[in-house]
Amino acid sequence: MQLKCLLFAVCFLMAAGTTLLRAEHVVWSGLVIAQNVPQPAPIPPELTKLEQTLKELFGYNQFELIGQSSKTLKTGEEDWLANSKYFGLHVDARGENEGGYTLNLKLYKENDVLLETEANLSKSSPLVIKGPQVGSGQLLLVLSVKEDEEAHPHRRAQPPNPVSAGWYRLRRFIHRVIR
Amino acid sequence: MKTFEEKWTAWLDGKLSGKELTDFEASLPDLAAAEAEKRNALKLGAFLKEQLAGQPLSNEEFFSHQIHERIARENESRSGGARSTWWTIPRLVWSGATALALFLITTVWLISQNEPGEQSEYLTQILNSRVDPGANPNAKIYIFESKNDSKVTVLWTEGLQSLPADYAAK
Repeated sequence: MQLKCLLFAVCFLMAAGTTLLRAEHVVWSGLVIAQNVPQPAPIPPELTKLEQTLKELFGYNQFELIGQSSKTLKTGEEDWLANSKYFGLHVDARGENEGGYTLNLKLYKENDVLLETEANLSKSSPLVIKGPQVGSGQLLLVLSVKEDEEAHPHRRAQPPNPVSAGWYRLRRFIHRVIR
Repeated sequence: MKTFEEKWTAWLDGKLSGKELTDFEASLPDLAAAEAEKRNALKLGAFLKEQLAGQPLSNEEFFSHQIHERIARENESRSGGARSTWWTIPRLVWSGATALALFLITTVWLISQNEPGEQSEYLTQILNSRVDPGANPNAKIYIFESKNDSKVTVLWTEGLQSLPADYAAK
């Protein structure tokens, strides 16, 4: 009887620990037109943190959002679409990993796939994709992971801690052994 | 200074003498009644002594045997119960210590393990990417990280087909 209670307690703690490790995140994806204009509009708030980097990388002075989408990931296997009038960015999340999420990205121009890529999007490192030239500007795709502030208002995006990283390595190790 | 009760008890037991006895008997309001009470108390004392004297057990050996048997039975069941469980205290301690050691070794190994050539987990990694070769035959893809603090991973494409400005519409 005592052994059963002990086993139950261990299982409960493991389940609780696993739940604690899994925080909900929001993946923000945006379609951005970067161009040089005489009087640039202020950068959208979603891109404020990246303003300097984008300006240095691409040399444009205005960054305009033409489409965006925010998706709260619960299972890490959701998919969604960020659309503008002519472009569509389809994001297919294929699971959570030790640093973030594995995403399959497809950039559509109407019905044509212009670009396809698969990335491990880190929680602490945004992804910027340089798309085609559009008129005098440039299409950019921006993806970043944020903590779900409604669910965790006190948390901030941080690099993965060693315990959760170890947990994911253990999962990956078990996956390899099984395969 | 003795209290009246102490003197009364001593008087009943016949332990008062001399002036003390004379003074005490003089202080009694009714000496005859007190004498009668004294006689009754002595009688009761003698009766109780007689009745409460130890009575020898007629079956002493039988009771002794019963008690010894019962003690032996209890000792046996106690030692038998301890033998039936595998989880003795020393074994529990050793099992716990071994499990803890294994847990620590595994944890340290998993945390310290970093595959050679593996990109830092703090940065986004591009696993693969491709452009439509039919529409963009000269397209090239480069991957790099920004050199400032924002830790941006950039997938840089060159040679994609340019599109008219209308495509910038929201």
